[in-house]
Amino acid sequence: MPNIPVIELHDVRFSYDHGATWALDGVDLTILQGERVCLTGANGSGKSTLSRVIAGLVAPDSGTVTLLGNVAFDDSGAHADAYRTARHGIGAVFQHPEDQIVTTITEDDVAFGPENLAIAHDGIATRITASLEAVGMQDHRTADPTRLSGGQQQRVAIAGMLAMDSKVLVLDEPTAMLDPQARADIMHVLDDLQDHGTTIVLVTHHADELIHADRVIRLEQGRVANAGSGVDRPQPPAPSARSSREVEGPAESGLPQSDPIASAPIITVRDLTYRYPNADSAVFERLSLTIGRGEAVALMGRNGAGKTTLARMLCALETPQSGSIVIDGIPVARTTGSGASKPLSRKAREDLRTTVGFVMQHPERQLFAETVADDIAYGPRNQHLTESQVRERVEQALRLLHIEHLRDRSPFDLSGGQQRLVAIAGVIARNPRILIMDEPTAGLDEQATARVHELIRTLRADGVTTLIISHSQAEVDAIADRTITLESQAPQKTSAAARRNGHKPSFIGGLDPRVKMVSALALMFSAFAINSGWQLLLAAIFTGAIIGAAGLNPWRLLGSVHMFLMLFVFCGLLNVFFVRSGTIVARLGPIPITDDGIAIALLYACRFAVVIVLGATFLNTTTPTAMTDAFESLLSPWRRFGMHTQETALVMSLALRFLPTLGTEAKAIVDAQSARGGVIETGSPTQRIKAMTAIIIPVFAGAIRHADNLSLALDARCYEEGAERTHWRIMRITMRDIIAMAAIVVYLVALVALPALC
Amino acid sequence: MSVSSHSMQQPGNQSRPDNEHSTGVADSGRWSTKRIAIYALFVALAMAVSFIEFPIIPGVQWLKYDPSGIVCLVAGFAFGPSAAVIVSVLGFIPHLFTNPWGTLMAVLVALALSVPASLIYRRNKTRKGALLGIVVGALVALAAAIVGNIIVTPFYAHMTAAQVVALIIPALLPFNVLKFTIHGVVTFLIYKPISNLLNR
Repeated sequence: MPNIPVIELHDVRFSYDHGATWALDGVDLTILQGERVCLTGANGSGKSTLSRVIAGLVAPDSGTVTLLGNVAFDDSGAHADAYRTARHGIGAVFQHPEDQIVTTITEDDVAFGPENLAIAHDGIATRITASLEAVGMQDHRTADPTRLSGGQQQRVAIAGMLAMDSKVLVLDEPTAMLDPQARADIMHVLDDLQDHGTTIVLVTHHADELIHADRVIRLEQGRVANAGSGVDRPQPPAPSARSSREVEGPAESGLPQSDPIASAPIITVRDLTYRYPNADSAVFERLSLTIGRGEAVALMGRNGAGKTTLARMLCALETPQSGSIVIDGIPVARTTGSGASKPLSRKAREDLRTTVGFVMQHPERQLFAETVADDIAYGPRNQHLTESQVRERVEQALRLLHIEHLRDRSPFDLSGGQQRLVAIAGVIARNPRILIMDEPTAGLDEQATARVHELIRTLRADGVTTLIISHSQAEVDAIADRTITLESQAPQKTSAAARRNGHKPSFIGGLDPRVKMVSALALMFSAFAINSGWQLLLAAIFTGAIIGAAGLNPWRLLGSVHMFLMLFVFCGLLNVFFVRSGTIVARLGPIPITDDGIAIALLYACRFAVVIVLGATFLNTTTPTAMTDAFESLLSPWRRFGMHTQETALVMSLALRFLPTLGTEAKAIVDAQSARGGVIETGSPTQRIKAMTAIIIPVFAGAIRHADNLSLALDARCYEEGAERTHWRIMRITMRDIIAMAAIVVYLVALVALPALC
Repeated sequence: MSVSSHSMQQPGNQSRPDNEHSTGVADSGRWSTKRIAIYALFVALAMAVSFIEFPIIPGVQWLKYDPSGIVCLVAGFAFGPSAAVIVSVLGFIPHLFTNPWGTLMAVLVALALSVPASLIYRRNKTRKGALLGIVVGALVALAAAIVGNIIVTPFYAHMTAAQVVALIIPALLPFNVLKFTIHGVVTFLIYKPISNLLNR
């Protein structure tokens, strides 16, 4: 291996608060070509910041940064051109797989980087193929990456970097959000890349990920604590000499083994069956289990086995298709005569909320208040306790998690690990008798993990029943009396659902998206001009022909717009009441119903149906990517008037990409706050507004967090405003488009001419 | 275009979502990646909440409240009128293919609300300025909503403009006053914590 330095840092200092504290405090580091270097250290030690400096994504406050031979930062400040050149050769992969995806088709996502580098179309094609093969994702080329598993998403993210021909790959805890199998897959990919000579900088706190490193660099409070070579490495940060021991101390004496049969059951699940909406097979079928009072039970199983779904059902956030759940006497789900499960009453729901505390995945996303103490108090306040009781609960929860010193801080200024502890405290403060936690230590460092484990043991000693979802056998051994393992019934949903069928597109599907978009809008707006039965008939025939040419199943299409049927019915009724002309056929109290009224009601309802069906056909045959491409192309004439058309189109495309993510997250936040007793539907206006802000603030915080991650991902892909880009998808007007446009013109002329003819 | 701006940027610069530690690449142009990302997420947020629609006046089912106006207002306060325009226009586009006329109207109303509000707040960045902005924006939007309804409702129901005008006092006015009041109160309550998040 040639000893060529690719990264050279000298006395690098970096502060987030204008020098009050230093995230990096005089770091010297040289990384050689082909090396695999691991950066480790506790949360907040500066390893993430260092990785961003190495990747050329941020400039430090002082020091010298030389990247791939380019002096990017020195005493005279940041050198944009040097940074730009260096970035083209340095790839970066981040912790949150989702936030790095920019489109909804895998190959388009991989193409985004090469497009930004203005690579020619043929070059992009070979790069997509090669890089997807390098990470073993060639079979998912046309899949929607937002629906892939976290591990697959990370591999796509790595492919996106390889497609830019990165010589150096900087990965910031790429496996933090992944289960053990997916982690192993990523490590395998990195081994391959290492063999091919890629320089790898890996930030991690998993001891087993240090195995193939040439060097392990340990950071402590922004300084390099040791820069060990591969030889003196065999002392990975095992949970030995660390301070975590003393935190874990009290419970070390060993858990008294409880016999699950001996204690009375507090959770009883019988014959539970659940199927995701639109899924072919059930997640689980006739699942039965019992959990005894005071037990600590671990729930394990592969991704997709239904662990989270089961937890949500126990909290009445999801209703099973059949089966029963009884928790401490509360019938959470009941099998009715027809065999279907029935949701519980409001009173029972309130009782359940008091009995069961639910720490969802990433509970830190539900933080909203100005101070930690206020946030923790939200749950108890919703239990209608007196203010002194609330304060007592808050203090108790703070003590249990050893975070008393954070009491008056803003939850948003804390580290990720601290935020997690605060969020858990917010659930504990309601004094639940049963605590359900969904992967409470995922992504936490050892110290924070130890705090959570200690909490679970303390609660167990107090007689609280705990159910912990976990992927880690070590964690389960440390905290659980026994384990329930859910077997996957169904194959991973990604295989069937995420893959788009590759058959030939229909006539409509193959149209140029620009033609399709303009035509759809023209047809939809013109439908409002329909004023007679003949016009309606013509429109119906033409719409039917379009559905046929689009190869869509008309019943399925109608099914997808069924919620609008209510609107049609309403619109219809409205007209029945307003039209007074014609013969009166019936009377509804003081309102006469006329035959004209009925005819007009039908006409308006039908023409509205035409509008909706045309819109649905367009949306069903056009991918979001094609829509934004068309949008950009149609906007482009405005560029000469100073409008940022390319950027506006990118904003639109990214917005569509993140729309489902934000929707899911908003729903999770609503569920989490309602599990803490916050509901908008009932209560005084002040309480409702309070409940609303407790939802809206975390939703905004989530959007801002995604934006922060996304902007780094865009930087890593070398997106630059105004820079020349190429396009992987090329739009062409073909004969097919000309035929379609001609047909639409004939139709529109006929629609206008009909009233004169009839 | 790109400037070495590490020392030039002021901390807490409110008009643009850019930050310090700039490398001068793609984060100091007129449209930095930071700015594109934050606009994209605000547009996505406006889209997401625009699907949460519910009637707030019993009996007038087609006048539905949706909270997307709050996102437009916050975007305008945080990043200025151009952000308000982008979020107000792009945020409603998904509805264009289900409810074309209604979408045009929703965009018009959102613009009328958030653009004046952000223009006023930009000159006077205090609680008072925010309040004045919200009130003026709400009045402009109220006018826009009523005029828009007079034009658009006849497309959906067999009513004359005069019949719609007759509905102003019993339905359109109370609905829109209530709508903009909720928008304003919520925005006023959440803006401070959110701007703290944005300026960290």
